Amino acid sequence: MLALATMNGLVIGAIYALAALGVSLVVGIMNVINFAHGELYILAGYFSYILADTLGMHFVLAMVLAVALVFLFGIFVEYTLIRPTYGNDMYSLILTFILSIVLQNAYLLIFGPYPNKPPGWVGGATHVFGAFYYGNQRLAALVAGAVVIAFVFVLVKKTWFGRIIRATSQDREMAELNGVNTTRLNMLSFGLGCALAAAAGVILAPVFPVTPTAGVPVALTAFVVVVLGGMGSLWGCVVGGLILGLVENLGAAYISTGYKHVFNFIILILVLLVRPAGLFGRREA
Amino acid sequence: MLEVSGIDVFRGETQVLWEISIRVHLGERVAILGSNGAGKSTFLAAVTGVLPPRRGDILFKGESLVGMKPHQITQLGVAVVPEGRRVYREMTVAENLEMGAYPKRGRAQLKKTMEHVMCIFPVLAGRSRQPAGTLSGGEQQMLAIGRALMSRPELLLIDELSLGLAPLITKEIFRTLDNLADEITILLVEQNVEQALRHSKRAYILESGRLTRSGISSELMEDDDIRRAYLGL
Ligand SMILES: Nc1ncnc2c1ncn2[C@@H]1O[C@H](COP(=O)(O)OP(=O)(O)OP(=O)(O)O)[C@@H](O)[C@H]1O
Ligand SMILES: [Mg+2]
Repeated sequence: MLALATMNGLVIGAIYALAALGVSLVVGIMNVINFAHGELYILAGYFSYILADTLGMHFVLAMVLAVALVFLFGIFVEYTLIRPTYGNDMYSLILTFILSIVLQNAYLLIFGPYPNKPPGWVGGATHVFGAFYYGNQRLAALVAGAVVIAFVFVLVKKTWFGRIIRATSQDREMAELNGVNTTRLNMLSFGLGCALAAAAGVILAPVFPVTPTAGVPVALTAFVVVVLGGMGSLWGCVVGGLILGLVENLGAAYISTGYKHVFNFIILILVLLVRPAGLFGRREA
Repeated sequence: MLEVSGIDVFRGETQVLWEISIRVHLGERVAILGSNGAGKSTFLAAVTGVLPPRRGDILFKGESLVGMKPHQITQLGVAVVPEGRRVYREMTVAENLEMGAYPKRGRAQLKKTMEHVMCIFPVLAGRSRQPAGTLSGGEQQMLAIGRALMSRPELLLIDELSLGLAPLITKEIFRTLDNLADEITILLVEQNVEQALRHSKRAYILESGRLTRSGISSELMEDDDIRRAYLGL
């Protein structure tokens, strides 16, 4: 049971980490919290469901296309809703909150309250650690999550885009003076943040089917992960995501399934008591 | 090269600069002097596009900068060493320099320019993998200047080079600037009147948002009023 709960924890933890990276990116650069993060995660799940299941596309193509569509949707949202609110963070908070409710209701109207599931990538199960059989689909989700996280690390640490992202989140005006078009960067990074939620969504949807409100707990956990890991820290997102994934599943296995989210907040409070800036956070931040 | 004519600049609803006109010719070293709150940094903010003037015009190589964004002005060849240095503390020295080379004009010859900058400031070479936040004040100032040079600018704006630095370090950095190639025009803004006059050809005096004097630096240095007001003599 321990090993099984650990595996489940790692899978869901990787997804939390991905979702949290998206939140962290947008908060770091734009100081905007996107309350509709979870609904974009779900949107990608629906897209991949429609593309693969209804239109019969290959599942990989459907996933890539779903993420790309959510990226474009994110750019559209930044352009129409977020950009006019610069200078007043409260407005963007309220607007994205409204957006999340609008999207939830749109999903309900279009897809109904029933769970929808894009096709799985692989079938069967693998004997892991010589101890138990574990679903291949979940293993594949874990690997896919790890690959996307690695991609984000390379993007942020090694490329020009990553460099200007880090510079802009440290000193926006200075970055602008160094030639960065921060208006365009905002748009791209908001889109990228949404795309990361989407990546999490398409990866997990074959395991946990999408429903109109299934994004809420994921987004909530992603916000907790960002604070737990420390604002602006990539490693914080990864470690924080895994911790919460593990705690949630081990807690459910050994204590009770009903307290899943309570465990998250207990961990958060304990960590913040010891390290107010989060696990990997900077002092001043 | 830079021709500022009659700009009025506001911070919010408060007017900070009144009818400022300044000219900087190619290859010149010009200083703007003034005490705390005179509006020196505000003037640079106007030139770099951070705080567009409400009236007046700013021409750089004959092209008006008014209405351009800071990142566009940077692309034209204006670089700034801001007040308080503002290095990217959590990025390495090398990454800070690379950020300076982000504009197209800098990126093409990034490697070569970086070697050149490290040659001007050898301390940076030994610390290129170190986070900029761990450098001393003087080293950070050198990094900030190096970062500005990375874009291969034609006009270098320097805000309060001497701020918070030991006199000896300030002197050393000023001397390094004197030795920079003549093709870089420098406009420096300073409270440290003596150093600034010594390392510039011409100077303007800014008092409470208005230009009150201007002239050849060496002559201003001998001027009784200036000596009394700024040099404490
Ligand atoms: N963000 C701001 N909002 C409103 N007023 C400001 C702001 N920054 C500066 N000021 C005011 O504008 C005036 C000029 O400030 P500025 O920073 O340009 O002066 P300075 O000559 O650079 O001074 P210092 O030598 O202290 O750097 C001052 O009266 C200051 O109080
Ligand atoms: Mg100033």
